[in-house]
Amino acid sequence: MLKITNLNSGYGKLQVLYDLSIEAPGKGITVVVGPNGAGKTTLMSSIMGIAKVISGEILFEDVPIEGDLTHNLAKKGISYVPQMGNVFAELAVSDNLNMAGYLMTKEESKIKAEQMLEIFPVLKKFYARSAGTLSGGERRMLAIAMGLMKNPKLMLLDELSTDLAPIIAEKVMKEVARMRDELGITILMVEQMAKRALEIGDTAYLMVSGEVRYAGKADDLLHEPELCSMYLGIKAGSEDAIAEIEKPSTEGSE
Amino acid sequence: MTPWMASGLVYASGLALTAGSITLLFIVTRTFNFAVASMATFGFYVAYTGVALYGGLPYQYYPLVFLFGSFLGIVCYFGLNRHLLRRQAAEITLMMSTLGYDLLLLSFIQMYADYLTHSYGLFPRRVTLNTHDFELFGERAAAIILPVIAIGLLTLLHQFMTKTRFGVAMRATIENPVLAGASGINSDRVYMVSWIIAGGMATLGGAFMAMAMTGTPTMGMFTIPLMFAGAILGGLTSLYGGILGGFMIGMTEYAGVFYLSQQLGPWVLGYRMAIPLILMAATLLLFPRGLAGIPLGKIIEKRFGRKRGESA
Repeated sequence: MLKITNLNSGYGKLQVLYDLSIEAPGKGITVVVGPNGAGKTTLMSSIMGIAKVISGEILFEDVPIEGDLTHNLAKKGISYVPQMGNVFAELAVSDNLNMAGYLMTKEESKIKAEQMLEIFPVLKKFYARSAGTLSGGERRMLAIAMGLMKNPKLMLLDELSTDLAPIIAEKVMKEVARMRDELGITILMVEQMAKRALEIGDTAYLMVSGEVRYAGKADDLLHEPELCSMYLGIKAGSEDAIAEIEKPSTEGSE
Repeated sequence: MTPWMASGLVYASGLALTAGSITLLFIVTRTFNFAVASMATFGFYVAYTGVALYGGLPYQYYPLVFLFGSFLGIVCYFGLNRHLLRRQAAEITLMMSTLGYDLLLLSFIQMYADYLTHSYGLFPRRVTLNTHDFELFGERAAAIILPVIAIGLLTLLHQFMTKTRFGVAMRATIENPVLAGASGINSDRVYMVSWIIAGGMATLGGAFMAMAMTGTPTMGMFTIPLMFAGAILGGLTSLYGGILGGFMIGMTEYAGVFYLSQQLGPWVLGYRMAIPLILMAATLLLFPRGLAGIPLGKIIEKRFGRKRGESA
């Protein structure tokens, strides 16, 4: 579905990613984990045409997409849920969903928005309220709903669980797994809360300083005590330790 | 209505449109459009050409004025702004590019004025368009018609931005261009429409202002500080704030000159531009984010909340 080969990219003269090769197979969840500053968000930005691709190839359904404009990628079926600014705070929830379905006709968008309200009933009572008044968890739900509005083939999810209470983060992860299982959507997600993401993921990549340090099955990465301990904050040494859920990030605020 | 008030309303309506034009372009494309000066002057010349060559009232040429402004906006967008935005140029670069465009337009205006003189025997370098005005309800028609057009335009714009899908898409792009792009909104189209609307507003504003002041090829150059003062007073974050800021600056200039010249003497006239600029500075000292930054909702709630508390 998505194949990235030898990607070098960054912002202006600053190179962040170095010879990065990642593949997200169809109808699966590919998880990219790594410490702060690893370049996870830059990876997403490079795919979406926001960061500058210096060299390398990004293939989506075997067609090169590097250099495509962001709105054209949306037309091709790639949906992006950014870490920050993932909803239009000044617009009503209804307008947010309407804008997410911008490529559909007004009628199609309305029907799809109703479907989203069935999937995320919490949004129903806030439908006419501006998105800026929602709580962190509700915003994240709206952001996912907006991502799903487009009937995407590929969803890019950037740090979905950051700043969320553990119970809400758990719920969000379950929704992501359901998107793969029930809707058959291919998902590429980057996460700092590695344990939860790896539990639902199929394939995993560990990124450090703009390079891939591990590529393999998501489950297997959890059993690499050295890598887990060094880069993911999961204590090595025992099965109990592996099962330990790392504390949620406290950086930033909602 | 006193004469200063009538002229003030006419002038302020024009200034409101030009300040709104500056604000709209800034919030959508991060561009401080210096070319608003010559665009406004062109607006005056389109109305003047219509009246001088084909007769009638200046008002009937306003649709043409708006269309011509939109054309100037499109030329600036496709000729300059679009390429710079794609290269993620800094705000200063975007601003200076419009200054270049303004100088180019100013040259065309000078050539056009000469063309009118040589080809039609007109004297377009000092024109008072208000001689073509008429009386309406015992007042200068412009003092009634122009504020009504300005308010009507603002209402239309509000409806467009809140009720149409593309208008909401424009607001979405203004707030979060990345997410808007990821939603499939073509920001290129949003920027182009902004230039079309802003160009039309700028030329129409110039045509309005020429009903209260002498129209000259350099009228835009002399009024541009006030256009920007209006936009800055408005806070540069809200289109409505910009329009209100422009209107306040225009009215203050006329009211200030009228009252101060009565109190201190006619020498005050030489400092007429200083009066609204002092108002702008004073307002920004109190409210650094301009009129748009005044928490009106909170103030009303606090005031009325307390009153209710007191009576209870």
